[in-house]
Amino acid sequence: MTSEGLRLERLAERLRAVDPVAPSPGAKIRGWNLVLAAVEQSSRVRSREHPIRRLMVAAVAAAVLLVAGAMAASADSLPDSALYPLKGVIESVRGALAFTPSDQLTHHLDLARTRLTEAEAMFAGHRIDLADRALRAMDDQLNDAAVLIQTEKRTDPSVGAAMENRLIQAIATHDNQLAGLQGQVSNPTAVSAITAARNRAAQALKLAARPAPSNGNDNPTASPSGSGKGQGNGTSASPHPTSKR
Amino acid sequence: MRALGRPAGDDDRPLIERVRKGDQDAARTLYERYFDRIYNYVYARLGRAEDAEDLAIDTMTRSLTRLDQFQDQGVAFSSWVYKIAHNATIDHYRRHGKVTLVSLEQATLPQSADPSELAVEQLSNEDLRIALRALTDEQQQVLILRFFQDLTAAQVAGIMGKSVGAVQALQHRALGSLERALQGRAVN
Repeated sequence: MTSEGLRLERLAERLRAVDPVAPSPGAKIRGWNLVLAAVEQSSRVRSREHPIRRLMVAAVAAAVLLVAGAMAASADSLPDSALYPLKGVIESVRGALAFTPSDQLTHHLDLARTRLTEAEAMFAGHRIDLADRALRAMDDQLNDAAVLIQTEKRTDPSVGAAMENRLIQAIATHDNQLAGLQGQVSNPTAVSAITAARNRAAQALKLAARPAPSNGNDNPTASPSGSGKGQGNGTSASPHPTSKR
Repeated sequence: MRALGRPAGDDDRPLIERVRKGDQDAARTLYERYFDRIYNYVYARLGRAEDAEDLAIDTMTRSLTRLDQFQDQGVAFSSWVYKIAHNATIDHYRRHGKVTLVSLEQATLPQSADPSELAVEQLSNEDLRIALRALTDEQQQVLILRFFQDLTAAQVAGIMGKSVGAVQALQHRALGSLERALQGRAVN
């Protein structure tokens, strides 16, 4: 080691030998009291934050459960239920997700069957007005299905023909159900509503069978509540819950 | 008499976890473990007992109430506490200016038979502390941490954010500066 190195090593050793300076006992106690107070306050702040966070998580979870529960409950709701408008929202979302003509037809036929079931329930509950609305909504769906088929027949006749067959079968089934229902009701208004519904369904069938007009935007037989654009996706004015896409 | 307690750098994590959960006994243990060391560190830097007490308390308060900010990513809790103490010292200098209570010129330093050679064994603790405060900020820090706090070069490197080699070089320069400062006074 060089003389400089030795000198610095001696100096370093001397520094190591410097006694530490002890704080006064009073300072240490005062320090601990201040630190303790700060630690307690910090813990209180943290513990206050935790319940708020837990409360928020619980609120969000409750909201999710509430919405999910309401959606599940609304699926079987009837026109006289408070959840019935929600059913329409869900049906609209489902309709928006039907992209192919075949899927759209399935959607229309599903909704027509649902409206018919609702009408039966309303007749059973002597809610003739609501039953009539449900039947009109059913026929709107059948009419929109017919317009869809008409358009598809022009694009792809074979696919259009297959879709037409599905509509024929669906309307035949509905007509059987409506005929049975007609035999069960005695109220003249109810009988008249069912008769009108059967007639509108038959007209929808005729519409589907007719060749599509050359101009796709001027179909005079599109449902009165539909958009008249040949796809049956317009905003419905009918009281049924689903606004057609 | 060297009694600074257990060396810094031991595993404090179990205690830190307990403090995070509000355990006051664990906080007390950490306080007892570090308060004297931090007081010594700050006192060596400032030279005033009152200021050193206030800064040591402030450092311990910040350390134990901001544990959520302490990211245990290979950095020891002790390093974190020393960094807080260092920053508190710098803040103190900014607020109050760097005050030298007793200048090196006023200190009476012993001389050896060779006037150019420093009689280090005869230097008083206070002479050394005073001379130390005449050094640059980094030089003070490295000498205090290495020799007053008994930390290893690696621990000091962690606190100062430097490599071990850089700390060793800085230590060498700091000792040379300290020697020159003491020699200059002794010759005068």
